[in-house]
Amino acid sequence: MLMNGVPVGGLSHPLEWMVKTMPDIAVLIKRVPDTIAKIIVVDGTIDLSGVKWIISPYDEYAIESALQHREATGGSVTAITLGNADCDKTLKDAKALGCDELVRLWQDGWESLDSNGVQSILAGAISDLGSEIVYCGKAAADTNAGSTGPGVAEKLGWASISNVVSVSFEEGGVEALVPVAGGQAKVGINFPCLLTIDKGPNEPRRPNVRGIMMARKAEVNLKGGQAPAATISVISKSTPPAKPPGKTYHGAENVPAVVQALRDEANVI
Amino acid sequence: MDFAESDEQQMIRKLVRDWAEEVLPPTISKRDDEQIAPSKEWKQFCEMGLQGVTIPEEFGGNPVDDISESIIIEELARVDPSLSVMFCVHVGLCAKTIVLHGNQQQKETYLPRLAAGEVGAYSLSEAGAGTDAAAMVCKAKLSEDGSHYLLNGEKMWVTNGEQAEIYILFAKDVDHPEYGVKKHGGTTAFIIERGFEGFEVGKKEDKLGIRSSDTCTLILTDCKVPVENVLKSPGSGFPIAMNALDNSRIGIAAQALGIAQGAFDCALKYSTERETFGVPIQRHQMITAYLADMATRISAARHLVYRASWAKQQHYEHGAPRHSLEASMAKLYAGDTAMWVADLAVQILGGYGYTKDFPVERFFRDAKVTQIYEGTQEVQRLVIVRNLP
Ligand SMILES: Cc1cc2nc3c(=O)[nH]c(=O)nc-3n(C[C@H](O)[C@H](O)[C@H](O)COP(=O)(O)OP(=O)(O)OC[C@H]3O[C@@H](n4cnc5c(N)ncnc54)[C@H](O)[C@@H]3O)c2cc1C
Repeated sequence: MLMNGVPVGGLSHPLEWMVKTMPDIAVLIKRVPDTIAKIIVVDGTIDLSGVKWIISPYDEYAIESALQHREATGGSVTAITLGNADCDKTLKDAKALGCDELVRLWQDGWESLDSNGVQSILAGAISDLGSEIVYCGKAAADTNAGSTGPGVAEKLGWASISNVVSVSFEEGGVEALVPVAGGQAKVGINFPCLLTIDKGPNEPRRPNVRGIMMARKAEVNLKGGQAPAATISVISKSTPPAKPPGKTYHGAENVPAVVQALRDEANVI
Repeated sequence: MDFAESDEQQMIRKLVRDWAEEVLPPTISKRDDEQIAPSKEWKQFCEMGLQGVTIPEEFGGNPVDDISESIIIEELARVDPSLSVMFCVHVGLCAKTIVLHGNQQQKETYLPRLAAGEVGAYSLSEAGAGTDAAAMVCKAKLSEDGSHYLLNGEKMWVTNGEQAEIYILFAKDVDHPEYGVKKHGGTTAFIIERGFEGFEVGKKEDKLGIRSSDTCTLILTDCKVPVENVLKSPGSGFPIAMNALDNSRIGIAAQALGIAQGAFDCALKYSTERETFGVPIQRHQMITAYLADMATRISAARHLVYRASWAKQQHYEHGAPRHSLEASMAKLYAGDTAMWVADLAVQILGGYGYTKDFPVERFFRDAKVTQIYEGTQEVQRLVIVRNLP
């Protein structure tokens, strides 16, 4: 274990110090419907058949940060997802980008986990792996809840920073740039820690063909775990109210009426 | 039988599509107008490692399956047919020919360079020898000390002519016993570097379409080529040439498929946006029928192209019969489909389709060449009938 880059506790092996300066980095990714997919609601539930699936876009930024971290300090990046076998494809996409190890968490009965359960399982996997830093997207594109990152950190008892736009890598920790009212703040944080990543100046990389061919052979490590009983349930879902029809005005004489409507009805001026 | 794309094929398609849609459109019209070769775009393209997909790993390549190779060509052509043919000639006619026929020394010398992004070309045709390739008159004569050949003559229609560093070039060895006896007698395949003494890139053609692809003549004036640069042996060039065409014909078929898809995508989108008589034009039954027929023919072309790609891989990896028939059928059908679909796409856009404001005008011009090069449509028909089971 490292605190501020300094090893604490006895070293069991003379090389452990060297090995441990290269952090075990984890990145949490989620498979979501393509953000431009047409969402069809049938009988009150969303019909996802025929939808294209992608890595949630903020998670792509998280992968990019994790890979840059490894490039700066060495170490290895493990991509973790929670989901059924279809999610292997998502992990392989992460492999093609350059992640080293792939872990999928799943067992029967996990189809209807609540967010608390998801966070517990992820936190359990992270402590089993011995990761020192975890990156994840600031929110998933499907639920947009943004609770997973902070929730996992809480379960682990780790510090976390949310909505990070850029990271610089130090020994034993990182410095993260986050937006604050009126500007940005640079925040230092020691391992172990979790960062949720927002869009920043570092655009996610593209895979290259070598990565794609390696991904084909990559093995996905399947793990189960312990999930607490669900405490949160969705009571109902509904579509947004239909938009009232627009109004059309013709001729210059209607300008006052338009201004009036923009002010009183649309509240835009 | 399995018609599903594999995960890698899907990933490669997405990679190339995303890249092409982002990087190519900003420069495409200017390159087309002014006949500027896509050299800058090629450099960026090479960052993905795709230029080495026909080269074994030991020589720095990133091999992919043959259907993936076609998918790359198709996805490039869907946006920019000029860059697509540049890639197709580089990986197919040039690199693959060295992989198949080069000796160890030649592979070690040239494949890593091609894998690193130096551009390859292939030069068979001459002014008087297109379809009738064996009528070529470029000559090669061995030097007295036997160390090199001197090549003389002019080659024509060389894709990537201006940008290439490495050319597979065919000329007739005048000392070969079959020279002047058989029509193609003495035909020899050489690997030529741009820097060789006596080698010069000549005129660049001013073309109807694929105007960003540099098609040039090559002028050989006592061009000095070391004997080590003969592929296989003197006089064995003609089968090499024909075999190379069988392979890259499938590439041109994939290019045609991409052109058809690009033109169709544009027409489909337009048909939902343009309204006449109070409805989107897609709702006029005649336009609906066009779109249905276009989509169906594109799908048929795609099956032929992928099947030919698969047959090529079966041939090289599992000793299956040569894929000449499949390659020619794919090229014939996909080439005609590109032309036919591009024509209808212009029709669907009406007057706007006839302007440079929409890409269908360019696709229409670009499509035509797929009926001409790598064997004209007439030649494909000859090959098909000769190879019928
Ligand atoms: C843009 C472009 C790029 C090219 N790139 C390359 C390249 O990289 N390398 C290379 O070596 N070549 C290249 N070519 C050459 C191309 O392969 C030839 O143009 C093609 O083979 C046709 O030859 P040709 O132009 O001499 O036409 P011709 O052979 O003169 O044919 C004229 C017409 O007669 C028909 N015809 C000829 N013989 C027969 C027959 N036996 N039966 C029926 N019909 C026949 C043809 O089909 C055609 O319609 C390129 C050509 C173009 C236009």
